[in-house]
Amino acid sequence: MKRFFSNIKKYYKYAVYQAKAELKSEIANSYLNWVWWFLDPICYMLIYTFIVEIVFKTSEPYFPVFVFLGLTAWDLFNRTVTGSVKLVKNNVGTINKVYVPKYIFLLSKSFVFLFKYIISFIVTIALMIFFQVPVTWQVLNFPLVLLCLYTVAFGAGTILLHFGVFVEDLSNITNILFRLLFYFSGIFYAISTRIPKPFSTIMLICNPVAFCINQFRKIFINGVAPNYIGLLLWFLMGCALTAIGVKLIHKYESSYAKVV
Amino acid sequence: MENAIEVKDLHIKYRGLKKMSIKQSLAKFKLNRIEVFEALKGVSFTVEKGKIMGIIGKNGSGKSTLLRAVAGIFAPDEGTVDLKGNTVSLMSIGAGFQTKLTGFENIILSGLLLGFTEEQIRKKVPAIIEFSELGDFIYKPVKTYSSGMYSKLSFSITAILETDIMLIDEVLSVGDIHFKEKSSKKMHEIIKDDSKTVMIVSHSMSTIKELCDEVLWLNDGVLMERGDTETVTNHYEDFMQKLGKK
Repeated sequence: MKRFFSNIKKYYKYAVYQAKAELKSEIANSYLNWVWWFLDPICYMLIYTFIVEIVFKTSEPYFPVFVFLGLTAWDLFNRTVTGSVKLVKNNVGTINKVYVPKYIFLLSKSFVFLFKYIISFIVTIALMIFFQVPVTWQVLNFPLVLLCLYTVAFGAGTILLHFGVFVEDLSNITNILFRLLFYFSGIFYAISTRIPKPFSTIMLICNPVAFCINQFRKIFINGVAPNYIGLLLWFLMGCALTAIGVKLIHKYESSYAKVV
Repeated sequence: MENAIEVKDLHIKYRGLKKMSIKQSLAKFKLNRIEVFEALKGVSFTVEKGKIMGIIGKNGSGKSTLLRAVAGIFAPDEGTVDLKGNTVSLMSIGAGFQTKLTGFENIILSGLLLGFTEEQIRKKVPAIIEFSELGDFIYKPVKTYSSGMYSKLSFSITAILETDIMLIDEVLSVGDIHFKEKSSKKMHEIIKDDSKTVMIVSHSMSTIKELCDEVLWLNDGVLMERGDTETVTNHYEDFMQKLGKK
């Protein structure tokens, strides 16, 4: 663990520069460049709003904000975790050239997604003003929920990063599982009202994405306090996952260059 | 003289960590059949600061593996590699660039990984751009480069951002005739520099004889001989001739 922190300190600048360069290259190569960062989540929000409100004729209060909170949190989690499967393979050149602790790649990727998340957070605020969602002091809990979600995503990412090196078709499995997780996370419906009682509670507690999305909605839409104990437990769980993943990576990372 | 590199009883194994699909790993449920290939079987040596060490040996004798182990890309399975806190870089064909990013950004990223601060790198960037002869292309994504430009940039980064220890895997010059001459001259300059410790892997005996102070001869992962260039290369050439006659 000590090694983990000293490595983070040592390679932090690299991760940040890499993330910045990647974001820059993303906007340099497209017509609408940075507008995409706003446009992308907004378009998906509109699609889901259309499907749920017009096709299925159901709704939740402040539905666009409701979907948006779910969708952006899901994107952060999904991109960080599923992206990590092929991370080592995508960086073969660097790996064969110089030693880098492999989770630094994940760190830098997660910075990219975190940045995009922050942008979508700005959109969230705009949407809240537009739909006149009553704001309470509970919104100040936002960093806590985000930290919890990020830690779990990073922890799961480190573990998948390790197995992604050796199991070639792991990405097929993660894609299917994450599709399932997507529908189980209540992104365009409220788990607590749409699913019968014991199952909904289990889903909201055992699925970190559903849990965090629910907390975001509590503080932004309902104006009630988040489940602090749950946040703490999932945060600790994220730390534990990170510890396991980092340990695996430290143990096996010197073999990665031999395999890929 | 103080040592810049100390390698003690180095073992590198390529374990049965083969890539497999999930179906395969379920089919072969016996995971016990792990094939172990030992690329280096207990190699020990030291290199004094400022010296030039050549590594010779036939194909598959573990030369490149040794360089990568010294560079820290492979951790030793047994034994230790001690670089006494020196910075190290490995020069080999096909450098790792992030093709989506510009040449400029790749220079900074490579430098950061080699252990330089951003400030140090920025000071040397003009020299790198000039040496690589890329001009304005440096601000374009690397994926737009020709293979010659790619190798020129890669060479320039390692050659200008000189680390304390340089590990050279067969790459003494790259590019067209003109750049070959220039890069080869630069390489000789670096190698001859007394503050740099250099390890060279090469199959060219003339290069080894010309440049190296000392030579290591590896055969099937075992250190056959270590000594002054003349003696070891002669023994090696005799050995290879005998091998050819068999």
